[in-house]
Amino acid sequence: MSMTKNPLTDEIKALIGMTAEKVEASPPWGIEREGLRIFTNAIMDPDPRYWDDAFAKTTRYGAVVAPPIYCSYIGRKTLAGTEDPITRAFRENPNSDGIGGVRDGGPDQKGSLPPVPTSLKRILNAGNEIEVYKYPVLGDRIYSQAKYSQIQGRITKDGTPMLVVTVQTTYTNQNDELLCILRASSIRR
Amino acid sequence: MTTADELRTKPQLYYDDVSEGQEMPPLVIGPMTPTHLFRWSAAIENWHRIHYDQNFAVYHDGLANILAQGSWKQSILPRYLKDMCLPDGWPWKLKFQHRAMIVPGDTITVWARVTGKREVDGLGLIDLDIGMALQSKVETCPGTATIVLPIKGGKAIPYPFVPPQGA
Repeated sequence: MSMTKNPLTDEIKALIGMTAEKVEASPPWGIEREGLRIFTNAIMDPDPRYWDDAFAKTTRYGAVVAPPIYCSYIGRKTLAGTEDPITRAFRENPNSDGIGGVRDGGPDQKGSLPPVPTSLKRILNAGNEIEVYKYPVLGDRIYSQAKYSQIQGRITKDGTPMLVVTVQTTYTNQNDELLCILRASSIRR
Repeated sequence: MTTADELRTKPQLYYDDVSEGQEMPPLVIGPMTPTHLFRWSAAIENWHRIHYDQNFAVYHDGLANILAQGSWKQSILPRYLKDMCLPDGWPWKLKFQHRAMIVPGDTITVWARVTGKREVDGLGLIDLDIGMALQSKVETCPGTATIVLPIKGGKAIPYPFVPPQGA
């Protein structure tokens, strides 16, 4: 009778605690008003703390702020002057799903963790954690640092091997002040 | 939906006024449309076609419809907790899972229920069950959160936030 092996190999265990290079997540202009407007409209949040300077000055934050979760999206922008990633992806694969090839070689490759060496290819979102410490303000430059905070191996009841991989990303500003911590867990099976 | 003026003038919710088992005021969003989903994809430059290209979602990926983005849900829950804490409380932390899909036509009720409260180092911590329920009552995003609310006559919640020792 063959036994399914736990997929948590020594090579994968060695990744736990590994920290990637700290990189600037924001574009060169940092947190700016127009990007913030587009983002807060998309989450349907009309909070004047995000756009009304006069009101924001009366709050405990003293200035217009941005939602901390915004930090995790500003690094995904395609900067002006770079090769259009969408055109490239569809040239290489006319049936591109819009993800594969679009981000390859893009700005979010900086500060990446090495891939988990596993034959388990299917990836499912297992959940997210967010800790909030400070709101970014207009003009802030945002830095991120990723880390494999936990990797667990399991065999399900039906004998399927799986890994639960948790990546923690810490966001700070140009003064090294902690803004927020995100943990994203994925299942590999 | 909440208006800008409501957020501008929102009265503070105090630790003293919250009790275990209490249902917090919900945030109702929707019905969601393909345009809402496309706006989010464009805002964060996430071009995954299952979120805005119905032919691709249905005929290529075998989905019932285009799907609301997990990243959008991840941004709505902190927004809801932020509103709850304004003006001087703090939406400290949350965790959640992605379960059922949200598709165009769905109306979402973002909700929270108090599961516990404790004073730690002079700060009023409120533990919550949270989620985003569909009109069918199916839960799409179950999770938990801890917010910090001012205690009447107590000390101000530090900003930037510093978690109390032992919390």
